[in-house]
Amino acid sequence: MKAKSPVLSRIFNALVFVFLYLPIVVLIIFSFNDSKSRTVWSGFSLHWYTELFHDEEILSAFSTTLTVSLLASLIATVLGTAAAIGFFSMRRRPRQLLMTVNNIPMTNADIITGVSLMLLFVFTGNILGFSLGFGTLLVAHITFNIPYVVLAVMPKLRQLDPNLGEAALDLGATPWQAFWKVLMPELRPGIFNGMLIAFTLSIDDFVISYFTAGSEVSTLAMQIYAMTRKRISPEVNALSTILFVTVLVLLIIVNLREVRQQNLKDRQNRALKRDAAR
Amino acid sequence: MSKELIRLRDLCMAFDDELVLDHVNLYINDSEFLTLLGPSGCGKTTTLRIIGGFTTPTSGDVTFDGVRINDVPPHKRQINTVFQKYALFPHLDVFENIAFGLRIAKISNKEVEERVLEMLSVVSLNGFEHRRVDQLSGGQQQRVAIARALVNRPKVLLLDEPLGALDLRLRKDMQNELKRIQQQMGITFIYVTHDQEEALTMSDTVVVMDKGRIQQIGTPVDIYNEPKNAFVADFIGESNILDGIMHEDYVVEFFNRKFKCLDKGFAPMEAVDVVIRPEDIEIVPPDRGRLVGTVASVTFKGVHYDTIVDFKGYKWLIQTTDYHEVGEVIGIVLNPDDIHIMKKSEYSGLFGDYSSYSAEYDEINDPDFAEEDEEDADDEN
Repeated sequence: MKAKSPVLSRIFNALVFVFLYLPIVVLIIFSFNDSKSRTVWSGFSLHWYTELFHDEEILSAFSTTLTVSLLASLIATVLGTAAAIGFFSMRRRPRQLLMTVNNIPMTNADIITGVSLMLLFVFTGNILGFSLGFGTLLVAHITFNIPYVVLAVMPKLRQLDPNLGEAALDLGATPWQAFWKVLMPELRPGIFNGMLIAFTLSIDDFVISYFTAGSEVSTLAMQIYAMTRKRISPEVNALSTILFVTVLVLLIIVNLREVRQQNLKDRQNRALKRDAAR
Repeated sequence: MSKELIRLRDLCMAFDDELVLDHVNLYINDSEFLTLLGPSGCGKTTTLRIIGGFTTPTSGDVTFDGVRINDVPPHKRQINTVFQKYALFPHLDVFENIAFGLRIAKISNKEVEERVLEMLSVVSLNGFEHRRVDQLSGGQQQRVAIARALVNRPKVLLLDEPLGALDLRLRKDMQNELKRIQQQMGITFIYVTHDQEEALTMSDTVVVMDKGRIQQIGTPVDIYNEPKNAFVADFIGESNILDGIMHEDYVVEFFNRKFKCLDKGFAPMEAVDVVIRPEDIEIVPPDRGRLVGTVASVTFKGVHYDTIVDFKGYKWLIQTTDYHEVGEVIGIVLNPDDIHIMKKSEYSGLFGDYSSYSAEYDEINDPDFAEEDEEDADDEN
């Protein structure tokens, strides 16, 4: 589609980006502000960052976030990969049904996922005698990560030669060997992307964590929220900046990997075509 | 021939109430080249997958060397498979692809190397060991797949339409190649194809299948010359299939004329199907012909002309090296051994009239045809 007025469309585009990114840019700039003011610039300093790294609460929230994200993304990757392979080997009807079930949580509002998980944890906790805390937080993160891993692994499975696993079995490999020696090398890029996406989602999740972590544990996102309510300190800016940059870097890595894999494939195809033409 | 190796006993297979195999009984001898031949959906690939262990039959037994192997998983069978799309491992090079089975069996590096290199020379791919498999042409990938299966010294090699994706010339070369490898290695080949010419060229035994049932088992010559029913007659080569009546032994009537034939054992006045191969019909001047007809169309085929001749509304295909013009009135004579009699079957009346015949007709009806053509595009140089 071609815009009728390039000037107007450019202005519109610019406005979209300004509204999307200006607040973040302001936040990042003011995280380096020397004074406490959030409106007046009074010089560059790393003051709020040093402050941040001396704040016990924040450091503990930071380590919670990192632990939960790492564990949740790892476990979700294992479960999600297994689920994807399971779905894929099913017949079409049940597979489509399960994929729909898999996709709903992703479009579902976080708050609904959060509240419903909290209710579940409180209910089962009463019976089995546990309360909200690190464990429930971790389970919640694993739960919302799995669908994304399934979604990242599925396309790789679809690209596989359907007989690949059977070929390995045919040559004497046990099902386990067939998976590790033949399927795994083919699926690895998809699995890794799924894990990165899961990690990213875990790092910046707030709503679901807020409902499932209980009062003892808090993640960085929850800490930021708490800080904005208690005392308004530019530490929040610094912390948000760190979080933003981390997530941005991870997303860039995921995208670069996908582009590179695509390029590699294109190059191989081209090479093959050249061969064929000769 | 030699001793029996595999037996399928009363094999049935149903997918969601759809009967794919219907009481299949078959035995396969050691060192035999056996082909399962039939149109798509006839159950030939399912039969192969059951022998390979990838599919468990709904009922019936599979025995290997006298032992029931229904529940033996594929990795414990002395059977290897060449898959339709090769299923080579993309992350391994040619050498490691072929070595895969040996590595699993924990065979020493030295022996692995010897056996892989030996295999590479069997399939004429010397010097390709460090190529990536995605840098190979279709024909080369095919050879790697064969080498990868054979290097394990299986008793039986299963091949699932392995030449389907190759272009015509390469396919002919590979047919000879496969036959040579089979004889050189002295192992049993079970080959699945829908290509009748491929089946006749390579096999010791051809098993013709349709609708999950075996229609006929025999040598290529038997299958061609003595088809059991109209389906086999039509599927193996081209044929004119007519309604006839068997008057007595060696005498059959069709087109209200009696002909001598070589068949016997039918009830008096039994209705039968009569098969006449288009290349067996001799064209003579009209005054000398037993039957007289008009040439309806002629197609040049290289070696011969496909001549469609109208006999009182029923059209025959005659293959002849002499050119006859459209509209020309000709006579034909039939020798007793040109006429083959079959019992009536569910297939009677479905084939044989060439009224709708055209060169494209077969291709339109062949679902694999277009697909194969596309794949040919990036095969071989």
